[in-house]
Amino acid sequence: MNRDTRHDRMNRALTWLHRAEDGLLALLLGTLVVLAPLQIVLRNFFNAGWIWADPFLRVLVLWIALLGALAASRQDRQISVDVVSKFLSDRAKAIVGATVGLFTALVCSVVAYHSWLFVAGEREFGSTAFGDVPAWICQIVIPFCFTMIALRHLLRAYSHARDALDRWLPSRRTEGDGA
Amino acid sequence: MIVAALLIVLALLGAPLFAVIVSFAMFGFHAEEVDLQVVTIEIYRLAEMPILLAIPLFTFAGYLLGESNAPHRLVRLTNALLGWLDGGLAIVALVACALFTAFTGASGVTIVALGALLYPALREANYSDSFSLGLVTTSGSLGLLFAPALPLILYGIVAQQMNVEPAVRIEDLFAAGLLPGLMMIVLLSAYAIWTARGHPKPRVSFTWSEAFGAIREAGWEIPLPIVVLGGIYSGTFALSEAAAVTAIYVLVVEVGIRREVSLKELPAVMREAMVLVGAIMIILGVSLASTNYLIDTEVPARLFDLVRERVDSPFVFLMLLNVFLLGLGMILDIFSAIVIMVPIILPIAIGYGVHPVHLGIIFLANMQIGYITPPVGMNLFIASHRFERPVLEVYRATIPFFVILLICVLLITYIPAISLFLVSSAP
Repeated sequence: MNRDTRHDRMNRALTWLHRAEDGLLALLLGTLVVLAPLQIVLRNFFNAGWIWADPFLRVLVLWIALLGALAASRQDRQISVDVVSKFLSDRAKAIVGATVGLFTALVCSVVAYHSWLFVAGEREFGSTAFGDVPAWICQIVIPFCFTMIALRHLLRAYSHARDALDRWLPSRRTEGDGA
Repeated sequence: MIVAALLIVLALLGAPLFAVIVSFAMFGFHAEEVDLQVVTIEIYRLAEMPILLAIPLFTFAGYLLGESNAPHRLVRLTNALLGWLDGGLAIVALVACALFTAFTGASGVTIVALGALLYPALREANYSDSFSLGLVTTSGSLGLLFAPALPLILYGIVAQQMNVEPAVRIEDLFAAGLLPGLMMIVLLSAYAIWTARGHPKPRVSFTWSEAFGAIREAGWEIPLPIVVLGGIYSGTFALSEAAAVTAIYVLVVEVGIRREVSLKELPAVMREAMVLVGAIMIILGVSLASTNYLIDTEVPARLFDLVRERVDSPFVFLMLLNVFLLGLGMILDIFSAIVIMVPIILPIAIGYGVHPVHLGIIFLANMQIGYITPPVGMNLFIASHRFERPVLEVYRATIPFFVILLICVLLITYIPAISLFLVSSAP
């Protein structure tokens, strides 16, 4: 019982997290879709345009790209070569899935670690991206998304590993039911 | 070497390609004793290329169009204008798919969105099942040589990172894709007319009232290709400007005026589109790092020497390139193939005297038929799944189309003028 409610709470938290990610993504894309043509109109017809708008739009693209990649990881829709899995048994698939997930998680955490270092350095150094906007605020999306992507693939590796184990020891399946 | 082999195995097992590429780059930089923070710096360069604005904007517009009833209107319109020809409906299918793919970027969306409309229509018009199936499967990747298709843009971006001479302008790629793309449509149409000849089919006759009706119905969408393609090809619009105009226009028309996609559905459409954008751009970002490493260590130059020792005529090189790219197109999707292989192949091809813009068209044309090359071309599976046919039947159905497109690819490869004729900066 206790375990179930914990499970529920976790699921609810995840649902909220996903909603927040989707919301942020929609907000950023919406801003891009409105601001980009506005800037063109201002520049071409009024010879005006905001100085900050162009670099801001480019940073938006980076954020959208990485949040999109995060969403792709969540739905297991990263671009990959899919030639071997068709020929594998379910158990082999689970083992391969666990290995691949672990590898991806590991690689992304290395990227995330070095990105955190980089961003911390930029913050200390006080460099700016455009206007008075500190560069680290624009860059923070890189370590954040790679950390989250690493976590997602780690979770996927874990569930594949459990699946593989269940198939290995069929007895576990009944014992471990609901666990 | 061992690391590279291991990474290839992991990639074949289905590891996300961005992870494979970034680990390759990190191993490389680590061996050269470069701080790995360089990877972050390279990824951050995604925020320094104005041209990249075009990718999310066009993709969003394409997905939004796919969600609306625009595909229906497009088919009705082309049918009203071209349906009266011999083999008319087949030509309708080719033209409509090509136009749609140019705007949605060859992501399998075309088969799903348009194939579902066209396949039953073709069957109803008494085209054989095999012909209809093959046509719809083939059409799914037709049109990626026309502006503003994403693969063309991506090739331009990657090639520009290489700082090759002559410089690759994306406008030149758009111009270069025009004739090869038209040639494919014309030859496939000719095949359709030839097939339709002999067995009389119920033909739609041209009526002005249907033509006007279809034009009026598609009234909001018709300006789009005219303004965007006209603007890009004439040089009035920069690419990212065209993308911005397209996105806001499609948003206002489909959500605000036609209300075919509700505000409530909009975030889901946005997420779907951005999943594709994210998946492509994270690969682009990490490949900026791996490309940087490859250039630093002069890998393309060494590869060129290696190839040069064995292959001395450009003719043989191009032949090998075709075979290689066909194989590549079967297992890699077009976006990762561009990002991974162009940095390696481009310097070699230039060494053999191939114009970088010409190489782009060769590359994409090969990738396009890779989509329908048995046994593992991606569109074969999408079609098999979508139309609930055994994949073997889809193989058989696409063979004639495959052969025609293969002829096109060979012509494109060995007659550079087909691509370069319209390019102003070409020799």
